[in-house]
Amino acid sequence: MKKGIMKKFLILAALAGLIGLLAACGDDSSEGASGEESGSGDMTVEIVAKGFQHDFWRAVRQGAEEAAEEHGVEMNFVGPQDESAIAEQVEMLNNAVNKNPDAIALAALDTSALIGPIEQSMDRDIPIIGFDSGVPDAPEGAIDANASTDNYAAGELAAENMYPAIEDKVAEADGDVRIGVVAQEVNSFSITERTVGFIDKMAELVEGELGEGTVAVIGHEKLENGVAEGDAKLVIETRVPAELTDSAGQTEAQTLLNKDDLIGIYGSNEFAAKAIINADSAISGGKIGPDKVIAVGFDSGAMQLDAVRSERFYGAVTQDPVSIGYNALDLAVKAANGEEVSDVDTGAVWYDAENVDSEEITDLVYE
Amino acid sequence: MGDNNGLKQTMGNVVGSQKFIAVLALVAIYIFFAISSESFRSTDTLVSIFDASYYIGFLAIGVTFVIITGGIDLSIGTVMMCSAIIGGVLFQMGMPMWLTLIMIIAIGGTFGLLNGLLVARFKLPPFIATLGTMMIARGLGSIISNVQSVTFPLRGAEEGFYKSIFRLDNNFPIGIFVLILFAVLAAIVLNKTKVGRYIFSIGSNREATRLSGVDVNKWETIAYVISGLFAGIAGIAYAATYTTILPGEGAGFELDAIAGVVIGGTSLSGGIGSIFGTVIGVFIMSVLKVGLPYIDLQPHYQLFITGIVLIIAVYLDVRRRNKL
Repeated sequence: MKKGIMKKFLILAALAGLIGLLAACGDDSSEGASGEESGSGDMTVEIVAKGFQHDFWRAVRQGAEEAAEEHGVEMNFVGPQDESAIAEQVEMLNNAVNKNPDAIALAALDTSALIGPIEQSMDRDIPIIGFDSGVPDAPEGAIDANASTDNYAAGELAAENMYPAIEDKVAEADGDVRIGVVAQEVNSFSITERTVGFIDKMAELVEGELGEGTVAVIGHEKLENGVAEGDAKLVIETRVPAELTDSAGQTEAQTLLNKDDLIGIYGSNEFAAKAIINADSAISGGKIGPDKVIAVGFDSGAMQLDAVRSERFYGAVTQDPVSIGYNALDLAVKAANGEEVSDVDTGAVWYDAENVDSEEITDLVYE
Repeated sequence: MGDNNGLKQTMGNVVGSQKFIAVLALVAIYIFFAISSESFRSTDTLVSIFDASYYIGFLAIGVTFVIITGGIDLSIGTVMMCSAIIGGVLFQMGMPMWLTLIMIIAIGGTFGLLNGLLVARFKLPPFIATLGTMMIARGLGSIISNVQSVTFPLRGAEEGFYKSIFRLDNNFPIGIFVLILFAVLAAIVLNKTKVGRYIFSIGSNREATRLSGVDVNKWETIAYVISGLFAGIAGIAYAATYTTILPGEGAGFELDAIAGVVIGGTSLSGGIGSIFGTVIGVFIMSVLKVGLPYIDLQPHYQLFITGIVLIIAVYLDVRRRNKL
């Protein structure tokens, strides 16, 4: 009996091995052409992103592949399932370092979790380039340069563009009016910067018109400004979903949309913008649109682009993911060659119904 | 009597052979990766494999006790994260690290006790009871942390000593010895003490155990408490390895742990199982997890292949029981 089981197991194990090999071969033919084998093989760059299957990361990857082809280097692009999978990313960076590449490009989910492999790559003199949100609070000398968006400025850009559309409503309101902010989280530096950049700029613009202390920032503790809701002309309320699911995001957006005094709403990344669109679709007649609640988004994605095209969204700010990927790999190659490298601002742009399908925007946004 | 002995012996052989197969599979997978990739053969990679095994290993050792009773504990993943995040909050409020570590284990144990009472005393089906505590733990962690991530002190920082439980400052993976130590302790409890004897007995035949005068409720509860305590220890391992704990996380880890237990030859219908097998099962999963990227396969391939391994393991389990 023992032997019988052994035999069967060995057959099954061989089968599993075969499947594994097939998967490996399939991988080579489908993905090899798009990057891994595009170069001479003299230099390899490991790219560890914050995500993988998301449109945004595909665009980053596309940019990196373009640069890899230009430089003739091999690249390997990995990223965890979602942006809360810290442990998964630690393991990915461990792997990347263990492979001894010429350079690493890293978008850290959480720097303190990654300290081990980061220090290991410093010991081995593997240069690290930060990209997207980079590697905030990294140890001195660990990061050679960053390819990233100035997120605070990008958040400000959203506020500056929303302000003219709501200016009159704020000034002419009897009681107070409200602007809702949906933020995916308050842990990630980049998303928090965009959220805070928007809130600060909006408060500055309104207080410039109506005087100090007329704006109350409420919602999440981290963002409150101490002005009581009752004393304010404008309330900026931030809501953060309890977990990273579309339905949790939608719940928070819906709570904001159901407030009668709401005049504007801002979602500080694609997740949040999508939450607003989904929540609004669930309300009969819809709350957002021209002459209704002014909605402003961030990043792109098919849903958000449609919303901008149809003017349900007043507009949105986009980073340039292709440029982020391109510059990350470009900097990584330069650093590996021992050249001096310095930070690159990959830029942010406002887009609305008028220019969403223009060439300058379609290059930046992704479906 | 003679027949009975023969049966026991056969049973021992089969359990033994499953363990043997698991060890063979582990070695085979390791050698496969070592041949396929030069950089996989480094000690750094081995350390990565250990790092990826600690928390799942503790979860799996603990839940082995529950599975042997014929029950299941779905809450361990989120209980682990909940214990760790509450510990982190307490630490940030000024609690010394040594007390924080004890608290983390105690919180895990408390959840275990809750599970045990719900299942043994209030007769809730284990699947439902622990599904409930899984959600409770997930929610509680978010409530107490105010949906913010908690960062434990870094290596070298004040009170950063807890990191050296699993990796010394010179990168020596001491954690593997800690894991083995706890595995040996768990194996002794399971095989050489009354606790273990009754846990096996409940899993094999609950009614007969009760009729022979054993306080089934008590020993079943203890199995869940052990599972909870180990989830707490896993929380420490997780914090030491990954430093930052996010609220609302941990769901899914219990399934990794249970998969490790099953691959290691413990039967989901209860009464059969071993800690040794569980540890081997966990390492099979970790080697796959760490190894697949070396042959340029993305993590989703890991799920795919682990699924196949799991199905093979359960198939063997089913066959084994049919033979008996």
